[in-house]
Amino acid sequence: MMDAESRFRDPSSLFFQFDTIRRYIIASYWVLITLALPLWWTTTSIERLPLPTSEVYAQAQKKLEIPLAICVDSAFSSHITSLQRSIRDAASYLDVQAHPGQDCSQFPGYAILPGEQILVEDRKLYYPPSADNLASTLASLLAPKMDHRAAQYSPRFRLSFTLLNEDSSAGQVITSWDIQQAIARHIHPITSALGILHNYTIESQVQYHALLAFEPRSLSNGTVFGLTPEDLTIFINSAEWTLSSSSSNDPVFHFVLFIPSARRRPLTILNSDGTPSSSSAFLIPQWGGIVILNLPPPPPTTLHLDLPDLQSSFSSFSRHLLTLLGFPRLPPSISYSSSSNTSLSSWQIDTLLRQRIHENVIQSHNTLQSTVTLVSQIDGMPVDEQVQSQVQGSLSTLHELFRYASVNLTFAEMLAYSAQALTLSSKAFFHPGMLAMLYFPAEHKYAVYTPLFASAMIPLLAAALREIAAWRKERREARAVGDVREATSGDGPKVDTKSVL
Amino acid sequence: MRLPSLSLFLLLYFLLSSCDASSQHTNNWAVLVCSSRYWFNYRHMANALGMYRTVKRLGIPDSNIILMLADDAACNSRNKFAGSVYANPGRHLDLYGENIEVDYRGYEVTVENFLRLVGRLSSSVPRSKRLLTDSSSNIFIYLTGHGGNEFLKFQDNEEVSAHDIADAFHQMYEGGRYNEIFFMVDTCQANSMYSKFYSPGILATGSSVVGENSYSHENDYDIGVAVIDSYTHYVLEYMEKVNKTSRLTMADLFTSYDVPKIGSHPGVRSDLFERPLGPGNPNHPMSEYGRGRGWTVEGGGEWMGREIEAGKNGRVLRETLITDFFGGVVDVDVNNEDDAELRLFEDPECISTPKAPLSPSTNTYSSPPSSRSSSSLLDTLDTYPLLRPSLAFILLGALFVLVFSGMTSGRS
Repeated sequence: MMDAESRFRDPSSLFFQFDTIRRYIIASYWVLITLALPLWWTTTSIERLPLPTSEVYAQAQKKLEIPLAICVDSAFSSHITSLQRSIRDAASYLDVQAHPGQDCSQFPGYAILPGEQILVEDRKLYYPPSADNLASTLASLLAPKMDHRAAQYSPRFRLSFTLLNEDSSAGQVITSWDIQQAIARHIHPITSALGILHNYTIESQVQYHALLAFEPRSLSNGTVFGLTPEDLTIFINSAEWTLSSSSSNDPVFHFVLFIPSARRRPLTILNSDGTPSSSSAFLIPQWGGIVILNLPPPPPTTLHLDLPDLQSSFSSFSRHLLTLLGFPRLPPSISYSSSSNTSLSSWQIDTLLRQRIHENVIQSHNTLQSTVTLVSQIDGMPVDEQVQSQVQGSLSTLHELFRYASVNLTFAEMLAYSAQALTLSSKAFFHPGMLAMLYFPAEHKYAVYTPLFASAMIPLLAAALREIAAWRKERREARAVGDVREATSGDGPKVDTKSVL
Repeated sequence: MRLPSLSLFLLLYFLLSSCDASSQHTNNWAVLVCSSRYWFNYRHMANALGMYRTVKRLGIPDSNIILMLADDAACNSRNKFAGSVYANPGRHLDLYGENIEVDYRGYEVTVENFLRLVGRLSSSVPRSKRLLTDSSSNIFIYLTGHGGNEFLKFQDNEEVSAHDIADAFHQMYEGGRYNEIFFMVDTCQANSMYSKFYSPGILATGSSVVGENSYSHENDYDIGVAVIDSYTHYVLEYMEKVNKTSRLTMADLFTSYDVPKIGSHPGVRSDLFERPLGPGNPNHPMSEYGRGRGWTVEGGGEWMGREIEAGKNGRVLRETLITDFFGGVVDVDVNNEDDAELRLFEDPECISTPKAPLSPSTNTYSSPPSSRSSSSLLDTLDTYPLLRPSLAFILLGALFVLVFSGMTSGRS
């Protein structure tokens, strides 16, 4: 017997419901949730490919030894050990093999030959046998300290030459300059000699109104104007002057030829004690060079600067450029051989190459190490295939460099290897894909996810539980009925089972 | 014999180089962020523009300033003084001016773009939007907007947390992207923003302690809104005393903080910073730092790392000048004429076109383009980290809808 109320409460008795269909519906939700869980997991997890961490640390422990064979004339054979030691002390990355020889003048590499005065010629050093500090001279020639004014290594540099008329309205204006010839004469020799190190882009411009942001000091009744050392640090009026185009991301060296206004001429640089300096050029470390060109006041109002006018300015610029590129200076005691036609000796170029190779290797070691430590430190940082391959590429380039360095690589090839390792490692480090997930505190996550999931999960859970309970109840009842049937069938003859059903 | 001399040399070298590194910087950069939009947040734009004017006046070129303005108050239709932004009720100084370069504007000002400034911008981003710093750069970072405990809101729909900024700075540290950072933040509970930093070389200051609001300074009744925040106003007012060759120190700036005027308790964090900050104003409660009683909330503000400050004074390092972060060039080098005359090729035949230079970056180890294009969907997912969870939700929702529709259609 069932009363009406319990009939409606029991889902199985509703006319439009069938147990099986209802259970399929509820089960389908759960099947979908279980199927969606792995999808949710894979789409929300961050791709973190493994990086060759132990390899990176092992590589960072290694030190590159650049082989350097020097033929030492028999006149200096007693100096060989002290010579080797002093170079090693100055630069531990050099693997110096100094060996005595009779005909060092024919030797293709570095050679130390007896001469009357200290001279360099190509890769030969002439040295008077009587002079004693050969070891220290050689050390300063082969491994000088890197100038802090030099820029960090970059495969590409942009050189920007600017002619600045301070105030064209004041009278005289320079409208053009023989920049192409000046560059060809003063800058190209450097860029071609050091073309092995960097790729250079050159741009130039002329500006007509470039006011200083301060008033130069007036000396001797306003006939001479002076710039104090403090003035020089604020000389560049960066708020008003546009000194280079922003067409690429390469580092830029700026070279500014400043023509003071006709009203404020001559403009001189003052020493710290206030006396006029003999120089009219100064260098801003890692930034560029500035030359102040005081023209005599001639009648014409417009003017063209031709090559002879630019001679001294551009020789300053070329000196600045060499400093900015880290080109080592010859020790003062050494002079160039009269037969060579350039101040860029192979000694210095090779030294710069070796320094840059050493720097690049150290730098790529550091960058690789930083990459792996950073990835292990910051959990939310993704590491994709590209980063992985860049790290591996950098590593394998370094491996090759280290393997072949002692065998048969020229300095130029070693530099190419080291530059590539550096480029790849920094590309990996600054890969745009490695942007870490934003940090959210745990309580924020609960605060966001609970209202979202709780409201959906509670009815689902409740329905599932109720259904399971109903199913178990049914089974229990079925079993009870079965028991009854068994019990009655055991008593066979007494009860007619059919009458019970 | 050889070993001791070598080690002595190395020791000397490290000593020298560490001294150099701590005080050497050759270029200055500034990142100025106004993170809130809408007209009623006029003051935040004025804050950032006021800082912009100051850093530019003190010699940081536009190419070295990243200015992020989340809204364009100057061109807002409610702005009675179109094309101008003023930071004082008298409207004496137009901060928008004629020579201003906004690098990130409007909806470009996002947490992602801000965090990508560490160097993770894609190759198509122009130079003006990049923070091209190196290991000898000093960076001034200024944030303003609405914030809370350990977060700053961007654009009313996302936020950057103190952890994210700390991690970003650490990435810059590991990547050799700065020499020193000066971090300044003006928002509610601002001092919490620098509490998570862990990389060396960072000096930080904020406008208010945790649990405290930062307030606006003044209203202009013609503009109709508050025109500047109090903390920034007093910092800018102090900075007007500084010129390009000023010798004022950071401690001078910090000891100029006046709690009753500012209306909140500014904080300083210097434990990660190596150099001493200078003596500062002896009559200010903060000047006691390192010698005894600290600068506490009751006394006038908050100072983290005060104990370390005492040890810095005995060191040989240079005091921290305001112009170390707000200035331009540090030192120049005047040529000596007695330099040996540089001899380059003289005969014209030698002036040929330069040899084709070796370009080491031509063949890179990047993965082949075919694999890139095939996985373009996954790449997009990587680029926008939030896409992944939202995609999962959409898929999940779509499955539910499918099932529902299947059930109902089956029934009918």
